[in-house]
Formats: sequence, C-alpha cells, structure tokens
Amino acid sequence: MATAAHHAPVTDKTELPVERSDIGLIRPDRTTGLLDWLTTVDHKKIGILYGAFAMFFFLLGGVEALAIRTQLAKANNDFISAPMYNQMFTMHGTTMIFLGVMPLSAAFFNFLVPLQIGARDVAFPRLNAFSLWTFVFGAFALNVSWVFEFGHLQGWFNNYEWYGKLVYKDFAPANGWFSYAPLSGTFGQADAALHAQRFTGVGTDFWIIGIQILGVASLAASFNFIVTIFNMRAPGMTMMRLPVFTWMTLVTAFLIILAFPAITVALIELMFDRQFGANFFNPTNGGQPILWQHLFWIFGHPEVYILVLPAMGIVSEILPTFSRKALFGYPIIVFSGAVIGFLGFAVWSHHMFTTGLGPVPTAAFSLLTMAIAVPTGVKIFNWVGTIWGGQVRFTPPMVLSLGFIWMFMCGGFSGIMHSSAPADSQQQDTYFVVAHFHYVLLGGVLLGLMAGLYFWFPKIFGRMPNAAIAYVASALVIFGFNLAFGPMHYLGLTGMPRRTHTYQPGYGWEDWNFIATIGAYILGLGVFLAFANLVWTAWRGKRTETDPWDGRTLEWSLPSPVPAYNFAQTPIVATRDAWFEHKHGGARIGALADGGPEGVHMPSQSWMPLLASVGFLMIGLGLPMMSMGIPHLGWLVIAGLGVLFLGIWLWAIEGPGGYHLKTPSAKSVAPTPTASVHS
Amino acid sequence: MSDSAAAPTSTGIDNKKLIMWLFLASDCMFFGTLISTHLLYRKLYPTGFTDAEGHVRFVQNLFDLELTSFSTFILLMSSFLMALAVSAMHKGQIASFRRNVLGVIVFGLIFLGCQVYEFTHFYHKGLTIQNSVFGSTFYVLTGTHGTHVAIGILWLILLYFYSFTGKLRGHVGALDVEIAGLYWHFVDIVWIIIFTVVYLVEYLGPNGIWGSAVTTLAP
Amino acid sequence: MSAHAEPAIDANFLAEETRRYHHFITLALWLAVITGAEIVVIFLPLPVALILTLLTVMSVGKFFAVVLWFMHLIYDARLLFWLFIAGLGLACATFTALIALFSFDRVDTAWFS
Repeated sequence: MATAAHHAPVTDKTELPVERSDIGLIRPDRTTGLLDWLTTVDHKKIGILYGAFAMFFFLLGGVEALAIRTQLAKANNDFISAPMYNQMFTMHGTTMIFLGVMPLSAAFFNFLVPLQIGARDVAFPRLNAFSLWTFVFGAFALNVSWVFEFGHLQGWFNNYEWYGKLVYKDFAPANGWFSYAPLSGTFGQADAALHAQRFTGVGTDFWIIGIQILGVASLAASFNFIVTIFNMRAPGMTMMRLPVFTWMTLVTAFLIILAFPAITVALIELMFDRQFGANFFNPTNGGQPILWQHLFWIFGHPEVYILVLPAMGIVSEILPTFSRKALFGYPIIVFSGAVIGFLGFAVWSHHMFTTGLGPVPTAAFSLLTMAIAVPTGVKIFNWVGTIWGGQVRFTPPMVLSLGFIWMFMCGGFSGIMHSSAPADSQQQDTYFVVAHFHYVLLGGVLLGLMAGLYFWFPKIFGRMPNAAIAYVASALVIFGFNLAFGPMHYLGLTGMPRRTHTYQPGYGWEDWNFIATIGAYILGLGVFLAFANLVWTAWRGKRTETDPWDGRTLEWSLPSPVPAYNFAQTPIVATRDAWFEHKHGGARIGALADGGPEGVHMPSQSWMPLLASVGFLMIGLGLPMMSMGIPHLGWLVIAGLGVLFLGIWLWAIEGPGGYHLKTPSAKSVAPTPTASVHS
Repeated sequence: MSDSAAAPTSTGIDNKKLIMWLFLASDCMFFGTLISTHLLYRKLYPTGFTDAEGHVRFVQNLFDLELTSFSTFILLMSSFLMALAVSAMHKGQIASFRRNVLGVIVFGLIFLGCQVYEFTHFYHKGLTIQNSVFGSTFYVLTGTHGTHVAIGILWLILLYFYSFTGKLRGHVGALDVEIAGLYWHFVDIVWIIIFTVVYLVEYLGPNGIWGSAVTTLAP
Repeated sequence: MSAHAEPAIDANFLAEETRRYHHFITLALWLAVITGAEIVVIFLPLPVALILTLLTVMSVGKFFAVVLWFMHLIYDARLLFWLFIAGLGLACATFTALIALFSFDRVDTAWFS
C-alpha cells in the first residue's frame, strides 16, 4: 500500500501516471465521464448518484400513485384491472419507501456528513460505492418484474411450458408493501410441485430478493456512516458540536443496523417457504403467519423513523439558518432524536392491535406508542422556539421546512389517535391510516427532503435554483397534498377500506375521492415542477457564491462545487455552528498544516465494488426467474454468488492505492488559518 | 480493507475494528430473530415431527448428544486457536500465526463435516425441511450458522495464503487478522447459545423442556 | 536514544501479549470444563428449573468469557463494549418480548395427529 502513496501531487486526476493495483489491473483513477461515475469512490459523486436515482424512482412511484388515484376517482371505475391495482399500490409503497425516500436520505448522508464533520471522505470509500451500486441493482431487479408483467399482458409467454405452471399471474409484487403471510407465502402439504402451493405469483419473489438486496445496501452504508461519524471528525468536532443533521444520520444508521436484520431473516424464512417448501408461515403445516407480522414490524416500525429522522435533521439545519439564530435546545433535540430511535424498537405491535395480542401487550404497546409523542413534541417546540424572535427569511427551503412542521404535526395528531387501541381497531386498514402515514411521510418526509434539496443544491452544483418556480412548486405541493390526503381522514372514518380496487356508489365516498384525485394531480404537478427546476438548475442554472444563505456549518465554508478533496486544510473546530461563529466574530476555525506541497491524499477509484454489486444483480434476477420455472436459472444465482465473492476478494487484495492532489494556495482556501483556535 | 486504516481516528479505535463490532452488534439481531423463531415454535409445538412413515418422533430421540458435544468442543477450541493466531500476529510471529490459523481452518472444517453428517443423519431419520415446522426452523437456524462458519473458513483460507505474499504484516496485517478473529469468535459464541437452547434443553425431563406438558411418550 | 526506546516498548508489549496468551490457555481449559459440566448437568436428578438456571449461567458465562477475553473487549476501548451490548441487549429484549407475546396462545400439543 505504500507504493502508490509516493507519486508527485497533481492538480487534476487526469494527469496521473498509469498505475497498476496489487492484482496487476490498471486503476481507473484517470477516467472521465461515464467510467468515472461507475468507478468513483468520491462521497459527493456517490451522493449525487443516489439523489438522481432516488428522484427518478420518486417520479416512477408518483406515476403509480396517480394510476391508483385515477382508478379511485369515481365509483365502479375500470381504469386499471384489480390485479394491476394490487401491483400498483404494492410497488407504489415499496418504491416510495425503499427506492425514493431512503436513497434520497442516503444522498444527503453521503454528500453532507463528511463535509459537516470536516472529513475528506467517508471511512470506507469503496464500501460506499458498493452500497450505491447494490441499491441501484436491487431497485432494478425489483422493477424488472414490471417487464415480465408487461410481457404477460402481451401474451409473450403463452408458448412456454413453464408459463402454464403458474397459478397466479401477478408478475409484479402484489401483496402490499408489508407482504403479509400467508398471502405472500405458501399453503398445503409439501409437494414436489411447489409452485402450485403459492398464493401469489412470482412478483412476490421479485419483492423478496429485491428488498433483501436493498437491505444489504442500507446495512453496508449504515456501518460506513457510523464509523465515519465516530472516527473521521475534524479536531475539536466533539459529538456535542456535530451539526444536528449529522446526529440524525448517526441515529438513523443505528436504527438501520439494528432493525434490518429482522427483515433479513424474515425474508430468508419466506424465501425458504416459497422456494424449498419450508413451513415458517405455512398454516397447513403449523406455521404461524402472524410471526411474519411480528418480524416485519420489528423492522417496520424503526423503518418509519429511518424515513423521518433524516428529514428532521434537515429541517433542524434550515430553520436556524433562515432565522439567523442558533438551534433552540440543541442537546434536547439531539437527545429527543435518540429517544425516538430507541423507543421505535419498543412499539412494533401497535401495527397489530387488531390481531388480538391480549390485554396486557395491547396496553403496554399503546402506552409506549403514546410515549413517543413526547420526544417528537419536544422537537416541534424546539423548532418553534428556534424561529421565535429570529430574523426569518422566507426562502424556498424555509417555506418547505415550515410546511414540514405543520404537516408532520397533523400526521402526528392522527398518529396519537392510532396509539389508542380501541380507536385503532376502528381505523385499522381504512383510508384514515392512509391519510395518517401520508401526512407523516409526504407532508413530513417529502417536504423535508425537498427543503434539503433546495437548501443544499447551491452547494452541490454551485448553481441557484429558480426561486419563483420553487415558490410555485412548494405552493402546489402543499395545497395539492392537503387536497389529496385531507379528505381521506373523512373517507377512512366513514369506513372506506384501503387497498380496494373500487367501491360502490351510495356510501358518500364519491365526492371526496374525486377531490382527492384532483389533489393528487396537483401534488404530482408540484413535485414534477420542483424536480424539473432542480434538474434544469444542475444543468444550466445561475451560478452562485459559495455561501448564499449565510450558512452555519462547515460545508458552507467550501467552494461550490466542492473540490474532490473537500478541505484543502483540515479545519480545527472550536464551537457548534463553527462557520457562522467564524464569520460573525465568534470563535474562529483553525486549520491543520496538512495538504501542503505534498498534496492531499485521495483514495483510488475501483471497479470492484461495482463488480461485487453485479453479483447481487445476477442473484436478484436469477432467483425469481428460477422460481418461475424457467430452466437453468439456478446457475445464474450460483454464478451471481461467485461474482459477489470474486468482487469482494479482488477488492480486498487490490490494495487501497491512492494518489495526491495539489490544493490551491492558502489564500483561496476558505477557513482562514489562524494562530490560535480562539482568536 | 479500509482505505484509511493507517490514519488516526477521532476515537482512537481503528476504523476496521469499529465497523466489525458494529456488524457483530447487528448480527446479534440477526441470530436473535432466527433463534427466537425456533424457540417460539418449539413452545407452540413441543412434540416434534412426523416422519415419512407417519410416526410421531420426539426431538430428544432424534438428537445425537455425543456428536453435538464433540462439534461444540471443536468449535470452542478453534476459537482458542484463533485467539492464539491473533496474539501471534501482534507479536509479529508469522510462522506461529500460520500454524494456528491452519488449526482453526481444520477445526472449522471438522465442525462443518459434523454438521453435514448430522443433517444427513436427521434426514434419514425422517426430518426434512418440509415435513414440520421443527424441521424448517432447525435446518434454517443451524444451516445459517453453518453458512457463517463456511464464510469464516473461506476468509481464513484467503488470509492464510495472503500471508505468503509478505503483505500481511505490521499494524495493518495484525488488524486484518484481528477482525477476521472477531468474526470467528462471534460465530463461536452464537454456537454456545444454540448448543444450550436448541440441543441441551431438549434433554430436560422425559420429553425435553418444551414437551413437559405432553403426556404421551414417543413410540 | 530513541533508537533504543523502541525495543523497550516492544518488550512491554510482548510481556502483555504473553500474559494474555496465558489467559487464553486458562480460558480454553475453563471453556472445555464448563461444556463438560453442561453435558453432565442435564442428566442429574435435579429440579428442571434448577438445571435450566445452571445451563443459563454456564452458557452466558462462556458467552461473555469469549467476548471479553478472546475478542479482547476487556482490553479494548470501552465504546466497542457498549456498541456490542447495545445490539445484544436490544436483541435479548426484543425477542424475549416476542416469545412472551406468543405465550398467550399455545396452539395445541399434537397438531399433526
């Protein structure tokens, strides 16, 4: 590993001499364009890729949502068939949660965490690339199911022998995002013709393996970020000086590493039921389908906080910036976030009140669920306290953040209603629940993430999004959202069940459903406008200065776009909100005397994370197709395992490599070096 | 292998060691899920399984305590050798490291061999993954543990051969061996739990701890 | 001077490693003995509750012995210990609760008859 470190520093990586790794392959360090993006280990580029894929899947999930709303616009509608409707709402939920919100949060983790803690990269740059590509291929495998569904509708497969064996023809997942057993599982005695015993078609197999692969990606990324936040902080950046977004990233990463194993095992068990005739959830042979619900929600409830905590972190950065005040009650906000995460593990059965848990568990889970409202309420009060008496600027990110507080609070109120088990037994599986979690996940998380996009976009691309379009888009999103989901409270309480393909006239549901559909289209237009504005900005937007918002944390001290090495000199931090204090007469940021003439050490790019991820792609495509009965596809799975191990092995022995980049002269480096930390 | 293993860290803990411990904390939840699945099904269905001839079989009569005790002992001793291998790397004694790690690999392979024998034996006694919940939970739990052992053996074999390239040395080399060791020890402690809650408790009382409410004995 | 300081640190380090080495050997013997005791105790004519307690104590003892000495947690940074305990404690709490939740509906004793 020492050999690579002695090259002369270069200003641009394309000037690097050809260098071979320990296994004799040319390192892809000097690549540009597509090859550069495929082999990059730069956390900023990986963050941008995460964001781009997440926004694409957001739009895809939005199209699926509009198909659902169009179908429900009037009673007895036949816009899409019932099987297609099931696939639509399943893939809508799965896409939005696993391919939209989580990767968009991951985009912020990637781009911001190293910048906010004063690091040059994450702790394991190649593992970071592996997380990205594993996510991309998992998402791809999940959505390939649509191709098969399309082929099935076109009648492409009618001549194949394996096709006739399939009992149910739903090729895309159709069990809802929590895929409850036994619907997702098997029934009947063990038999050689296993495929005859499955309740649902091969879409469930795509779902199982897709979620499994996405879980690997999330786990790998979370291990990486915990190590990064613990170990890569700049001097003086103590844990209680971390920006709140970084704190929420840490809590989220802990939730992921402790919650995902439960779903990993549950998916393995379900896979064994479907592929090998095991009996974990097979009621005929004594399996308990309710176990799936338990295992799913042991994961699923922390997952809710995995989705929302990053957005809370983003809002906790934006509100102080545009109120020109330090965050009110920083330690309490951090502590509340940690408590929400911890309590999140103790409430899973509140999703299962109607299954008959018995009075003691029901009361216990009811109480614990109500307890979560306390730290959440503390956060809301602290945010309001932050704005109170501040010099508020209503920029687009601020407008979206304020929308977040309002809408999230509404979702929280209906959440409190669910925590009461008797009330919940009336609301279970009605549109009231749909309204609740869309207020939390869309009014909360999506607004928070959009606020983050508009806040940090000038830092990511050095270009400022058009504010007028942003205001219009924000107004459309918030108005359309309330129009779409507000009426669902009423629909739910008057008894409209969720996940029904259609409804009969005469229940008083027609008008509100029609209004909700109009709202959904306005919302869709708003999100599309907001994203189109961002894409246009990244490509052609107006250039802007490095610190357009008078930011508070270290990332605003850097040029936009941020150079590959992030900090020309490692900052020495003396206070919370270090950059704001530095600018406005508080404690100044010092600088370590590194990154001098010998340059900044950069990790080498690598093909191996991508190669290992390709193994997951092969497994993700091979296993469901094997399950369909297409011959020889088991070999694709075995080959995929081989490619995965090969990729990891070559990754381990290729050596970390590395090269040195020259930094600009100290004058243009943003944090001015000072003699002492406190000046 | 970390790209920044040599850099000083904020906590003073090596990045690789920290990430390995985080993985092990996560793996506690993983095996916790598997073990609890097995235990709660044992609790619900204490009797056992029905073999191909339709006979009710009790788990106690299925298990082979001598074999399982032997493989448990082997795995414990492999953990001991692994600790010695890490110790040898810390002292820079590469030859001693190779001897010990070879011992770990051999012991691990013996453990896997015992498991293959056990699975075959149980299969011939009529326990399949398909004919009972017990079969499903037992094979998947111990099989997943066996997969962990197999991955550990593969890792150690690669480290063993890597040591001949001369690149496995110094602080980074010792760290690479140590995190492999952490993984191996974890696989061992999971087996310590499995040995007690899956095997030994089946011998308490006439029908095992779960079957104490069952009034009829096996044929 | 500094050239001579290096072996001195090494000697301390080696002494520490040797001390650990002896701990490892002692521990390996204990692990073997406890495993033997576990196999014996299940056949003793004692109340089931007592045997169960003994088994629990012995396996938890073995578990933590390996974690603390073989896995170096007793020598390493305190943070690592607490990280592992967080995962372990959460797993124990969650799955104890899960098994307890299932105790409300013992389905039957011979479902396959």
